[in-house]
Amino acid sequence: MYLKKECIAMLLAGGQGSRLYDLTKHTAKPAVSFGGKYRIIDFPLSNCINSGIDTVGVLTQYQPLALNEYIGNGAPWDLDRNRGGLSVLPPYQGNQHSDWYKGTANAIYQNLQFIKKYDPEYVLILSGDHIYTMDYSAMLKAHKKKGAACTVATIKVPLEEASRFGICNADSDGRIYEFEEKPKVPKNDQASMGIYIFNTDVLIRYLEEDENDPDSSNDFGKNILPNLLKNGEPLYTYSFSGYWKDVGTIKSLWEANMDLLGSTPAFNLHQRKYRIFSRNTARAPQLIGTGAKIENSLISEGCVINGSVYGSVLSGGVYVEEGAEIYNSVIMADVHVAAGAKIYYSIIDSDCFIGENVTVGAPDSKDDIKIIAKGTKLTNDSEEN
Amino acid sequence: MSSAAIIFSNLNTNTLSRLTADRTVAAIPFACRYRLIDFALSNMVNANISNINVVVNYNYRSLLDHIGSGKDWDLARRAGGINCISPYQMASSGSAKVYSTHMEALRNMTAYIDDMKEDYVVLSDCHCIANIDLKAAIADHAANGATITFVTTECAEGYTSKNPVLMFGTDGEGVVRDAVISAKHQDNAPELSTGIQIMSCDYLRRLLIEAEAHNYRSLTYDVIMKNASNGCYRTFKHNGYFAHISSFTDYFKNSLDLTTNRGAFYSLLGIPERRIFTRVHNSAPVSYLSGSSVANSLIADDCVIEGRVENSILFRGVKIGRGTVVKNSILFGGTTVGRDCELNCVVTDKSVTISDFCRLSGHESLPFYIGKKRRV
Repeated sequence: MYLKKECIAMLLAGGQGSRLYDLTKHTAKPAVSFGGKYRIIDFPLSNCINSGIDTVGVLTQYQPLALNEYIGNGAPWDLDRNRGGLSVLPPYQGNQHSDWYKGTANAIYQNLQFIKKYDPEYVLILSGDHIYTMDYSAMLKAHKKKGAACTVATIKVPLEEASRFGICNADSDGRIYEFEEKPKVPKNDQASMGIYIFNTDVLIRYLEEDENDPDSSNDFGKNILPNLLKNGEPLYTYSFSGYWKDVGTIKSLWEANMDLLGSTPAFNLHQRKYRIFSRNTARAPQLIGTGAKIENSLISEGCVINGSVYGSVLSGGVYVEEGAEIYNSVIMADVHVAAGAKIYYSIIDSDCFIGENVTVGAPDSKDDIKIIAKGTKLTNDSEEN
Repeated sequence: MSSAAIIFSNLNTNTLSRLTADRTVAAIPFACRYRLIDFALSNMVNANISNINVVVNYNYRSLLDHIGSGKDWDLARRAGGINCISPYQMASSGSAKVYSTHMEALRNMTAYIDDMKEDYVVLSDCHCIANIDLKAAIADHAANGATITFVTTECAEGYTSKNPVLMFGTDGEGVVRDAVISAKHQDNAPELSTGIQIMSCDYLRRLLIEAEAHNYRSLTYDVIMKNASNGCYRTFKHNGYFAHISSFTDYFKNSLDLTTNRGAFYSLLGIPERRIFTRVHNSAPVSYLSGSSVANSLIADDCVIEGRVENSILFRGVKIGRGTVVKNSILFGGTTVGRDCELNCVVTDKSVTISDFCRLSGHESLPFYIGKKRRV
């Protein structure tokens, strides 16, 4: 069957996200909830459909149950198509090799058959760890214009943080002459966003070479990009300016949620240009009771608020009793906060019960975000306080 | 035991003039994020009915838009699913009148009814709002072998309606003894029809043949009223929330009731095993900015609130400016209220803009209505 596409996306969603601790104990990082009604993976998927990319392979590995269920057939992102659309690509048993995905490059390598089926000119590699809106079609345009073999999206980061990222050293035309993965002494502040566009033939060639190299750690940043440079392939940066946040740590996940608040938020969800699609559930509208006080917060459907909520993000179905107080926190779906409970600087995972007069976190604990694992019941008698 | 359903989207339109100026009764927005048809549809879907025919006659575009493929109710199916039945006008029929009664509509769709493979069929209007356990109602019908089972609710002492509705008196065991058509409470017929009736497909097919032979025009007058005292009808009483929307004031009163009456809210929207489904939009959660103060209100997604909101219903994407006070009002989707406004007993239709410093007020008995896309 004729399935040719110009550009398809491969979304690496298998990461464990171990620095999110309890939040990713039973869930892959891309399925972690964010911004009230979203999951992290909604952002790259929505970007794809907003950029006209209708064929997306989602590579899953770690704890995929919640993720698979959430993604389904891709319908929420309009990716349920007869030709293309969304495909979940878990590791599989082959007739010669059967392996888990050993690294980002190996994960794509194991799915070259999927890519070849669509015979695309370009392959977009994405990860499911970031909150941002971006038009990939503009990046593809730049890629074609430069005649690049590979384009790496970059963003300016504070120089003191640059050693956490892959840093692209490029000339004034954007051609990369050096790529350093997490350098101790970064030479500039242009960090790789982990978004690459490859010419398909180049990608296939280098992935196959990489696979035959027993010393490789099968990683795009550590192996593939340096190998391309070594062989003099034209690698270019595509510099992106806009909101982009890695949500790989508790602190950064909390910060990204806080970035949604206020009358001029750092990241505005109420914009129309790049709509964020997500799987919507049929919940009742939110009911705001008599004693409610809500300021500077984001509240989702199905919530019943009778207490006080300040500077917080609440997912669907959260019940806040009268007299309960929530400050600067992220409360995930179906949490019940009983009267007299106080929550400061915390991320409460879904289905928790915060009992009467229980205090979670402290008014001055901004630098120590408290995590309450999914389904935890906290009462004043329980030890966890 | 399987059931199909037929929903009449627009047969009670005349008394709701303003809200139905450019939409059918079924498409009237209600409770923040729903349209009236969502209650009928959800009741059916929650009773595992997956073959639903929606009869439309006039200005049904917004309804078609709302229903789409039926995906949001899990009704986008290869077999069955949701199907809109529009008037079948022959090129040669000229300006023949479009059906205006249930019987005329049914006679117009005999081909669909003949094809129904289900045992029972549920007929429903859209002007009643309730979360009804239809599964139990159908089981009750099947167990008792009535010709028709009407889903009813207790008619309150002081009940009045803008247009007359069916009311029943029973023997206490659910068998109908009396039926009246009245616009106010009747002592001999204390059960009010919810506009939902259950019968077997076979009976409906026989009924339509009979109707053709005798040229019946009205299901109520030509069939139900004639047979009401024969003991062949039953009622199934629904005990939870029920609202009958017969006029604009009814609409206003019943809507705002949900903001203060917690029992009503939970009995309509808070039953976990019988959720009310609606078309979903990809809109952001509600932003409460500093300075906002909200009490006793229902708020839909994508609203941005900087002012004060009390006893009100805000549909999707409503914006309330700084210093503005909104009380006892219903603001439809996309309404933007500027800063330092005062609104009391106001109903704005979709995408209304109210500029800064406006003061608008209606009265509980006569709410002030502002039409679609108007600017104040």
